[in-house]
Amino acid sequence: MSVVADSPPHSSSSDDFATLLEAELDAISDASADPEEVAEGEDGGGDGDEDDCELNFKSVKRRKVELSDDIIETPSSSSQGELAKTSGLSLEKIMCPHPGVYAGMCMRCGQKMDDESGVAFGYIHKNLRLANDEIARVRDKDLKKLLGQRKLYLVLDLDHTLLNSARLLDITVEEGYLHGQGDALPDSLKRSLYRLNWMQMMTKLRPFVHTFLKEASKMFEMYIYTMGERPYALEMAKLLDPGDIYFNSKVIAQGDCTKRHQKGLDVVLGQESAVLILDDTEAVWGKHKENLILMERYHFFSASCKQFGFNCKSLSELRSDESETDGALASVLKSLQRIHSLFFDPMPILSGAQG
Amino acid sequence: MFFHIVLERNMQLHPRHFGRDLRDKLVSKLMKDVEGTCSGRHGFIVAITGIESVGKGLIRDGTGFVTFPVKYQCVVFRPFKGEIVEAVVTMVNKMGFFAEAGPVQIFVSNHLIPDDMEFQSGDVPNYTTSDGSVKIQKESEVRLKIIGTRVDATEIFCIGTIKDDFLGVISDPGANP
Repeated sequence: MSVVADSPPHSSSSDDFATLLEAELDAISDASADPEEVAEGEDGGGDGDEDDCELNFKSVKRRKVELSDDIIETPSSSSQGELAKTSGLSLEKIMCPHPGVYAGMCMRCGQKMDDESGVAFGYIHKNLRLANDEIARVRDKDLKKLLGQRKLYLVLDLDHTLLNSARLLDITVEEGYLHGQGDALPDSLKRSLYRLNWMQMMTKLRPFVHTFLKEASKMFEMYIYTMGERPYALEMAKLLDPGDIYFNSKVIAQGDCTKRHQKGLDVVLGQESAVLILDDTEAVWGKHKENLILMERYHFFSASCKQFGFNCKSLSELRSDESETDGALASVLKSLQRIHSLFFDPMPILSGAQG
Repeated sequence: MFFHIVLERNMQLHPRHFGRDLRDKLVSKLMKDVEGTCSGRHGFIVAITGIESVGKGLIRDGTGFVTFPVKYQCVVFRPFKGEIVEAVVTMVNKMGFFAEAGPVQIFVSNHLIPDDMEFQSGDVPNYTTSDGSVKIQKESEVRLKIIGTRVDATEIFCIGTIKDDFLGVISDPGANP
């Protein structure tokens, strides 16, 4: 509005103000038609009638956007400054803050953009980048909405936290019974052991995981963040969340990390102060140790035990499993419920003690 | 927008195909190679409708392959900036939604969705107006305007908007007929 308000040239003002006006008008555009058109719209709408003015302004803007569409395609204009000089361009295009880039085009005005600023959000869509301002804006807006729903954010690791995977090659002889199909498998494994032939892997979901996810989803918006590769991450998400209810567009894999071998909350679209992390490894969360709840590692396969240097028999070889009701996930869920209630229903401070 | 144009391509054929069915083999190889591909200039080649002419074959030096210049008619699809298209929503998230109009993927960011539509997460993530009258979710059909296109080697990406007049949801999936 300030630009438009400056436009009447015959307003009586000091010399300084006049030079300031001229500098402003020259800098913005040479399209002298624009401020005059808008000024007319304003006068026509009546002085006290702000709504009309804004409507006129908007309809003028819309016409100008359509007119200038044909001109935008010129390959030479690559910066906002150059755009401003092309005649007939609307104020909207010039002032576009370029909140993000999809496939090399600004998400808001469609202008071609090739810079690599901001953060890549490849897990939402592989060609998406968002500018830092936009990320902050989305985070704020999202936080307000979630707090209204009494939810926080929860970032979950996959391996050794929610499940345990092993390559088919590493399955020992004693674990051979796991290859059995149908009735050969004990009941408890039927619903939690999966064989992925195309990846040559076997995965065992941690006991209690489905209940855990269901209960946690009532209190948190959940993300998966793994150091595994994207196809693996998506496959695991499908096993944990067959209805794609919990983790839709929220599966972050190794390729999305901005720093190698380090996980960061910069790719999570949530306010850092409202994020809880559940992971079995502390070292990867360099900058966010305060958000981390360290989980006990889940070793089902003997390959996993050996990887961490344990020479004992694994759960699969002993033909047993972690307890559902007493296991790590159940106790972590209780902790999360306590944290949630402490956050949203803090205990009233007993002030009776004073005075 | 769809176009029906004549394109030309040099097809290479292995000598084992020479014989009675040479022309048929050439045509089927052409269809296999070309249908479904995308070129920057013409867009997606949707279907070949006919062969206009097959030129004289030229034997390549050193190998037995023969190159035939083939002129063929085909239907191509290319999105343009400013074009209004109807698309089916494929994914909805807090940054906006993705829609597909045939082989073209269009991204409509939340900046270009009318301000009165809010993102609702849940079982079926969607954008809904405050009174619940209009909903955009997966499988909804929307009419949108393309405001930018970008051509890759094999794909065309577009940015769209539904913030203008006459744009938005056409039909809801599962709505009563």
